[in-house]
Amino acid sequence: MITLGIGATLGLLYGWVIDPIKYVDTTPDTLRIDYKSDYVLMVAEAYQTERDLPLAVERLTLLGAANPTEIVHRAILFAEEQSFADSDITLMRNLEESLQVWYPLAEDNAP
Amino acid sequence: MNENRGPWYLITGLVLGAIAGLLFAWLVQPVQYTNTAPSTLSSEFKAKYRSLIAAAYMTNNDLVRAKARLALLKDPDIYRSVAEQAQLSMAQGNSSQEARALGILAMALNQSLNEASHSAQPTKIIIPSNPTLESSLPIVSTPAPAETTFSLSTPQSLTSTVSADTNTPLPTATTGTPFALKSRKLVCDEDFGAPLIQIIAIDSAGQPAPGIEIIITWEGGENHFFTGLKPELGLGYADYTMTPDVAYTLKLAQGGQPVSDLSAMYCEGSNNQQWGVWRLEFVQP
Repeated sequence: MITLGIGATLGLLYGWVIDPIKYVDTTPDTLRIDYKSDYVLMVAEAYQTERDLPLAVERLTLLGAANPTEIVHRAILFAEEQSFADSDITLMRNLEESLQVWYPLAEDNAP
Repeated sequence: MNENRGPWYLITGLVLGAIAGLLFAWLVQPVQYTNTAPSTLSSEFKAKYRSLIAAAYMTNNDLVRAKARLALLKDPDIYRSVAEQAQLSMAQGNSSQEARALGILAMALNQSLNEASHSAQPTKIIIPSNPTLESSLPIVSTPAPAETTFSLSTPQSLTSTVSADTNTPLPTATTGTPFALKSRKLVCDEDFGAPLIQIIAIDSAGQPAPGIEIIITWEGGENHFFTGLKPELGLGYADYTMTPDVAYTLKLAQGGQPVSDLSAMYCEGSNNQQWGVWRLEFVQP
């Protein structure tokens, strides 16, 4: 029983620490919050010129199944917290406003 | 009895335990990666990320920011990856807006690379010492007079603070008088397996001209492409693969005479029906 325990510990150590499963083909929804926020900023920048809301939504859905407005809203909160440039935050707010028409935020998240 | 078992039962227990541990660690409860970096994205998503960087660049004209974002993907050669994706995007018939954005970004990158290689004062890249930012953005500073700075406003922020007057302008194609067709010939070369139209653009200084927009039309269709997106074949080079039995007309977007009656043709005297390549050389007077 003791050796079984030692073996299991060694196995876990190897599987979690020494040679864990490597994720090399990840999807954008696993990105860290700062990268996600920059991704949202890029969508907002592109939207500024393209004015193509369905394309913006298509790009945002890569960040997860959440409401696109919610995704942008979270990015704005992060951007404000991290003191992004005002012009960048404005771009994200513009995108959020456009999205609100089709994908309104839940009542408790409304500004 | 017990004495005869030896140490084997201990090893058996160890092995069984190790197998159980590995199964648990790899299958039941594997390490979860939730805070990944763009460099770990699959190639499909990296391509989408690159397209988005190019689309954003079309709005902000901020090459420093675009470069910093591209650096996150950790491509060995960011110019090449953007240029190749631009070509692929055009070949696959993706939206012309996407292909154009990628093409313009590729040209801007190429231009900046050329400027950097010709500059007496090299661009200095400072990697932030903060270990949590190992995969984040480098701080890039270019010496005066064209000083451009890119800085992280906070350790975890990916946004940049770039003054408006340092924004890199959109790359423009070689300006001046329109290019004129200097030569048009059917070339037979075994290296080319497809019926191609090759365009070579030379500017008034005798240098290959990148970023020249080419418009090719045929009955019921039109496509746009640029020179310089296959740097390995020359900065003034572009090509287009023809569909057999279709007649094409080609012209440069900036003007000049259209070149008509371009269609896929076999080489004369070729035994194995080898496709010929239309080679068009445009020169700026």
